Amino acid sequence: MEQVGYIDSKSNLDAVFAALADPTRRAILSRLTEGEASVNEIAAPFEMSQPAVSRHLKVLEKAGLIERDKDEQRRPARLKAQKLSDVVDWLSEFKAFWGTSFDQLDNVLLKMKQAEKGTEHE
Amino acid sequence: MSELPEYILDRIFHAPREMVWRAWTDPELLHRWYGPGAETIIHKFDLKPGGIWLNEMKWGSNSHFQKVVFQEVIQPEKMVWHHHSSTDSNWNDAPNPMMADWPKLLLTTVIFEDMGDKTNVRLSQVPMDATDAEVAFFADAMANMDKGWGSGYAIMDELFVELQAKGGSDE
Repeated sequence: MEQVGYIDSKSNLDAVFAALADPTRRAILSRLTEGEASVNEIAAPFEMSQPAVSRHLKVLEKAGLIERDKDEQRRPARLKAQKLSDVVDWLSEFKAFWGTSFDQLDNVLLKMKQAEKGTEHE
Repeated sequence: MSELPEYILDRIFHAPREMVWRAWTDPELLHRWYGPGAETIIHKFDLKPGGIWLNEMKWGSNSHFQKVVFQEVIQPEKMVWHHHSSTDSNWNDAPNPMMADWPKLLLTTVIFEDMGDKTNVRLSQVPMDATDAEVAFFADAMANMDKGWGSGYAIMDELFVELQAKGGSDE
């Protein structure tokens, strides 16, 4: 299983949104806002087996939302929320760019039409 | 080479084609609408194949610079340009400060379709000379936009409310 190396490479947005679509995984992210935690610590409040938590962590890690130490026995998980926030900001800017510009173009065209009508009436 | 991801935006404007073309090609008009909520300064605009458009967008004290190199200009139907999405203030390509994997170069095609007193404008952008990472990122971005950002945003909002309630991210 290739897991290492995925994490810091390209942001896979499909993976990000798939990862966020699950309430348990969002709860795990929420838990990690309090600081890094091991699988044991994360599993405790969820009444969930460690393997089940590990599977969720793998999904989050692959999506680039968390990172985990590779060497240590505990392998604590840490949040990487800033990256997600950056990606969403950038994409919404791109989407807004043309949409909002075109709204502004509507106004410019309206004024051009009004100006043209004005000169016809003179 | 597999098919490249494409961003397409169609929009009907209630104005005849000649007028819409003018709004796109007269810098005096162009700077009034290009760039959302920004002060747009057109430093150079030379509409011919090989000609360049140097564009600065100012948000407060921040400036974002873009360079366009026109490839094809067919008045009043079509223009094709190379869109350098991020440059430094000397108009040299610069890495995007926000997104390392955002394509540096986008092949942009704008088609003006005559519909009498209306005009359909079709804008399309495709990554050019892109790395695999850039193509993958752009493809993902387009796929998520098509699927409706709405659901994605709802999830994000929910998560950020949780994060803020907990006192923010530790990064």
